Amino acid sequence: MRATLATLCALALLLFAGVASAVEGDRVFFKSKQAQSAVLTIHAATDLDAMRPLVLDFQQIAPGVSVEFADYVTNDLFREAEQACRQGSGPGDILLSSSVDQLVKLANDGCALQHVSPEARSAPAWADWREEVYGFTFEPAVFVYDSTKVPPGDVPHTHDELANLLRREPEVYRGRIGTYDVAASGIGYLLAFNDARQAPTIYGRLLESFSRAEAVKRCCNAEVLGEVANGNIRIAYNILGSYAYAAYRKNPNLKIVVPRDYALILSRGVMIPTTTGNRDLAARFLDYLLSERGQRVAREQAFFFSEKSPLPDGVDGPAALMESGIGRPIRIGPALLAAQDRILRERFIADWASLIAKPLN
Amino acid sequence: MQSIERSLFSRLVLRVALVLAVGAAILVTAAWYYARAAADDAYDRLLQGAAFQMTESLTVEEGTLTFDLPPSAFELLGLAGRDRIFYRVMAPSGRTLTGYDDLPPGIDLGAVRSNPVFHSAVYRGVPVRVAVTGRALSDPAVSGWAHIIIAQTTEARAELASQLTLRASVLVAIMSVLALAGSALAVRYSLRPVADLGEALRSRDPQDLTPLAVAVPRELSPFVASINHFMNRLDGRMKLLQRFVADSAHQLRTPLTALSAQVSLINDDSLSDGDRRHLTRVRDRAAELSRFTNQLLSHAMVIHRFDSAQLVPVNLTEAARKAFRAAVPITIDPDIVVSFEAPDDEVTVLGDALSLREAIVNVIDNALRHGTISRLEVRVATGDGLAMVDVEDDGPGLSAADFDHLTRRFTSTKSGEGSAGLGFAIASEVAAALGGALRFREKTGAHGFTVVLELPLHAQERS
Repeated sequence: MRATLATLCALALLLFAGVASAVEGDRVFFKSKQAQSAVLTIHAATDLDAMRPLVLDFQQIAPGVSVEFADYVTNDLFREAEQACRQGSGPGDILLSSSVDQLVKLANDGCALQHVSPEARSAPAWADWREEVYGFTFEPAVFVYDSTKVPPGDVPHTHDELANLLRREPEVYRGRIGTYDVAASGIGYLLAFNDARQAPTIYGRLLESFSRAEAVKRCCNAEVLGEVANGNIRIAYNILGSYAYAAYRKNPNLKIVVPRDYALILSRGVMIPTTTGNRDLAARFLDYLLSERGQRVAREQAFFFSEKSPLPDGVDGPAALMESGIGRPIRIGPALLAAQDRILRERFIADWASLIAKPLN
Repeated sequence: MQSIERSLFSRLVLRVALVLAVGAAILVTAAWYYARAAADDAYDRLLQGAAFQMTESLTVEEGTLTFDLPPSAFELLGLAGRDRIFYRVMAPSGRTLTGYDDLPPGIDLGAVRSNPVFHSAVYRGVPVRVAVTGRALSDPAVSGWAHIIIAQTTEARAELASQLTLRASVLVAIMSVLALAGSALAVRYSLRPVADLGEALRSRDPQDLTPLAVAVPRELSPFVASINHFMNRLDGRMKLLQRFVADSAHQLRTPLTALSAQVSLINDDSLSDGDRRHLTRVRDRAAELSRFTNQLLSHAMVIHRFDSAQLVPVNLTEAARKAFRAAVPITIDPDIVVSFEAPDDEVTVLGDALSLREAIVNVIDNALRHGTISRLEVRVATGDGLAMVDVEDDGPGLSAADFDHLTRRFTSTKSGEGSAGLGFAIASEVAAALGGALRFREKTGAHGFTVVLELPLHAQERS
């Protein structure tokens, strides 16, 4: 009963927001509920649809605050933030990115402000580095398939099953498999990098199978999901659970599988850059994201998955994701710096591209 | 005027505390130094491990130097969870392969071989620990030493060092407090003989000039010896003085007797009233002088006797009765009621009959002269292991405030009357010499002012 009420409220909010916010390209301005006293500029590599409920709920707490939200592709956000840090000034008050390795790199280069958040105590230890980069979501990397096109017998539940499926029925799935282009997508690169670290053999086989099946590469989550929704591809690999679930809610034919062998868990990062013009407000928004209220809104309306609650309805996956050890969180910490090494990155992307572009034999 | 110095205890404890504080400061500094060295040592191993892993990843492929950064190296460095990592991979030509172009080696790269060289530096405004290693490349295309520089911020080291230092400091603090408490106890214990000596001196009878017989530590024995030497000399002087007084009194007695006789020969009938009054005064003064001379002699005698005579059991009743007879003159005013009471049992004390009699005589004499209006009672009694001679009169008596200095020589409560109070002094000295005391009881409704000579009962009597 409560859940339905909340959903109704959320829907009402969404409708209201749709009217109130003026869209101009990839920038959205959320006008303050009361007389405007401050403007918080969020630069995010995160879908606006996911962030909208959080921003609106934040404005309930801070009615005098207008929020300017700018959506970026992860790599663009990183480039802009690096440049801002070098120059000592930049437009964003707070940065959100699913590519936490990029945020860690920024923090390592001294581009992040420390903010000891009182709300961070309940957050997992792997989702906080130096009180500079915090992870505020819990997003498994999942398979998404079109249930109208993929027969139940074909549905893969592990990485191995996916690779075998593609080997077994190359003709059926040729050009029907979608994943990120790691060169274009920071999050795609991060997930691929961690796949290669977690399970090098399986990932190698998977890439080979992708190559045989002439996998479709797209820059971002939304585009890959869009291709599935369009019916162009049948199975999408390594989609962030939150986006996948949002798509599932719009189109219940898009089914979600959390892999049962291992599932990478990403915690979307938030960071206050040293170039922030609005430190206190940014800190307040950060606290809100980590707070119980923010986490609840995120779980119910924005990102759907949570470490402490079971998988959302309609998602196929292991019962106890974290306790079983299947969930492999991408620890926010200095180890992610390796992913940002220039040579390593170039080689990895080159290898990946060459593997996936042409069949080995 | 004796200036008040700080006590020995506080001096000693203060100095011990000072030494302990300096010691603790040195220890804490040393602990901090070692803790820092230990933290550096521990975290240098991480750097070293990472450096080795990274040098292993330097390879020459088809004539090109390549570097495949091992993520495990960063995971290793990530064990120092909060610390930032900077690195730079340099080709033999000095070109930066990857990493932070502006990270300076900080040392002469020519001297660096495959063993990591560590140093501390500041990079990007934060203190860092830097490890530099080299790898020899012997490919025809690329040869020489390639170098890897890894720098890590020092937060984890600082935290470990401060934690270790804090723990060591707590231990040092506990030890210091224990040591201080122990020292205070030891000092207190060591100084106890000083207090004991003081107590022995304080509780001594004012007239006791015999050597101190207190067991003291070796350090205090010169002090005690000095005191004893001093007392010995004082005793000698006192004896000399007493002999002088006795001799003087003795010498005075003869002319005094003659004077009294001459005065008594004066025919006062032929004198005028005024002259007769003067003569009476001369006679009174002569009598007083005579009595005083007798008292001086008696005092000297008492002291002399206690110096020489052995104490023997004495019948106190007998001595008191003799004293009563001697002290109460035959010419006593018939209006005054005098009485003497004694128990039927024999009351025996250890003492010297003559001195005892002298003491009691003086007490009764004093009562007659200064107290008695119409009644004088002398009682011998026993009780509580003590023998007592009470001398009670119905005079106004003395207040308790005066009791303290009554037994001093030549003090009188009634100033100006000219009575030199040697009487109580003599009685008190005798009582003290026999282990007793001279006490006073204030006048109350039930009984008059009473002087009590208390003496311990002779042991045989008690058993």
